[in-house]
Amino acid sequence: MVNDSNAESYLSPFSCSFCRGCFEHFLDGTYDFLNGFIASDGCLQPQRVYDNWKNYLKREDDFCYQFNTPRVYDEAALGMYRQELADLKHAVERWANYVTNDKLIEAIKVYNETRRLLRELYALRKGDAPLVTGEECLRITLASMSMRKDTFNELLSAFLEEARQREPITDYRARLMLIGSSCDSPEYLKIFEDKGGLFVTDVNCYGSRYLYDDVEIDEKDPLAGIARSYLARPVCGRMCNLHHELRDTILEMAKEYNVEGVVYTKMKNCDMWGGESFFLDDAIRDAGLSLLILEREEITANAGQVGIRAEAFVEMIETGGAD
Amino acid sequence: MNEERKEYWRWAESRWTNPEISDWQGRTITAGVDIGSTSTQAVILVDGELFAYSNMRTGSDSPESANHAMAWALEGTGMTLDDLQYTIGTGYGRVNVPFADKCITEITCHARGANRIYGPSVRTILDMGGQDCKAIHCDERGRVTSFMMNDKCAAGTGRGMEAIANLLGVDIGEIGDRSFQVEEEPKPVSSMCVVFAKAEVAALMRSGWSKEMVLAAYCRAMAIRVCKLLTRNKMEPDFAITGGIAKNKGVVKRIEEIMGVTALEPQGYDTQIAGALGAAIIAIDMLKKKRARGG
Repeated sequence: MVNDSNAESYLSPFSCSFCRGCFEHFLDGTYDFLNGFIASDGCLQPQRVYDNWKNYLKREDDFCYQFNTPRVYDEAALGMYRQELADLKHAVERWANYVTNDKLIEAIKVYNETRRLLRELYALRKGDAPLVTGEECLRITLASMSMRKDTFNELLSAFLEEARQREPITDYRARLMLIGSSCDSPEYLKIFEDKGGLFVTDVNCYGSRYLYDDVEIDEKDPLAGIARSYLARPVCGRMCNLHHELRDTILEMAKEYNVEGVVYTKMKNCDMWGGESFFLDDAIRDAGLSLLILEREEITANAGQVGIRAEAFVEMIETGGAD
Repeated sequence: MNEERKEYWRWAESRWTNPEISDWQGRTITAGVDIGSTSTQAVILVDGELFAYSNMRTGSDSPESANHAMAWALEGTGMTLDDLQYTIGTGYGRVNVPFADKCITEITCHARGANRIYGPSVRTILDMGGQDCKAIHCDERGRVTSFMMNDKCAAGTGRGMEAIANLLGVDIGEIGDRSFQVEEEPKPVSSMCVVFAKAEVAALMRSGWSKEMVLAAYCRAMAIRVCKLLTRNKMEPDFAITGGIAKNKGVVKRIEEIMGVTALEPQGYDTQIAGALGAAIIAIDMLKKKRARGG
């Protein structure tokens, strides 16, 4: 994204630039191929996008829906989440076609196959000589979220076969992990990788979220299975009673992938990942990992400034300066 | 009215040669060149000892600035560019040093330079440069353990101070002393954006503030801003300031007061050469590695 000035007329410059970017693409026609938009209230900002999107809907019969997501994990929240999924299902049925249990179970199986393949993709990054860069991996996971999963599964299977025959990457200087606010910008990762860093894993909405356990198939009530699987994942800073689980997930993943440095990006004005610092910063340093905290905006206009921080961070890891 | 207009911001360029080193032939000679946004330094070491340096303003052409700075450092020493066995470029223009063997960021170099200038006890370093500011934490060998830089804006850096010097017509070297010639410390200027701060300063002057009061208010605002950066990184009592602003007592004393620490003394070194000095020290390690590889 290079410009979000149109969206700034609707959403304050003090809002999340990722959300502004989404609305900019609605305004500039990039998203005209979409027939529907579902916003979740994981944080406040997508709600404002929903308000504007609904108000300026381009075609009368387009689908526009606000999905409410719990911010705690407990029995009551599970019930509420299950109900929200049922409401969404009914809304989709009113707009398009019936969503039967059989169709849901079939879709869960296809999605679980995506998860299995993405786990294989991430496994290619574990060893001393990884086969894919972080930038490439993010491009692949982004594709998984913007195309039909069955088509994606075929393409990823072919890619994995090809990738296993590649020359491994051995000329990197530091093994990095990306955490923090949603990052859908492979270019951002490339800034670090051009400076000698190599992202080997992440805890990022657009990256490793599919790595978690398969969604359980509840034959009688597939929506309940989806609710249980999704809500228990310690993947999002919005979950008020899963902070320690999120921290542990990050540390375990760092260990599993032999990470040396964590790049913690916070979207400017992101309350959730901004506040998560309280739970994460010391824990990451105490685990012997180097930590770089950077504020980010969806528009990568300061690549040079990020570059110098990236280069210095790689040097810091390389010279063994971490505590 | 042909009188040339005085440039109050213009700080003194300088060069120095170590009178105690004359027999440099056959010894290990390394160099560092730090091309910053505002100033450029070239440092030459002989067997790790400071042999010569220059400190001058960065021009519009980075390679030319590097050439000029090194030529001035070499001037009168009998040494030539060919005698430099390993050179490291650092600073914003690090990739534009034509005769460098390698480039390394100024963050890494400043930590190593500060380790030499202030001694191995230094842990927290504040590098106040021309257009950015960095809080660096390092270990006893000058290796960076964490760092933080100001984001996006040049506010609260040397360039801002230069703009205020020009606006008030006060020589930049006098700002520190004059900022203490006030009966009572005024409130800091509220805007740190250089453009807005200049407007605010003009308004304060119109309302009857003396130049000294304005300087005190600006130095305090700058100190408050960089102290936030220090607090966000890792602040330890063994604290030192590098870069041009380290020469401005008006800012340094106020930082000390706010943070409750006393900045370490630079042991006779020019604080502006920290980056280039660190680069020249790292160049010694690089040269050893190169020789070990048979290069």
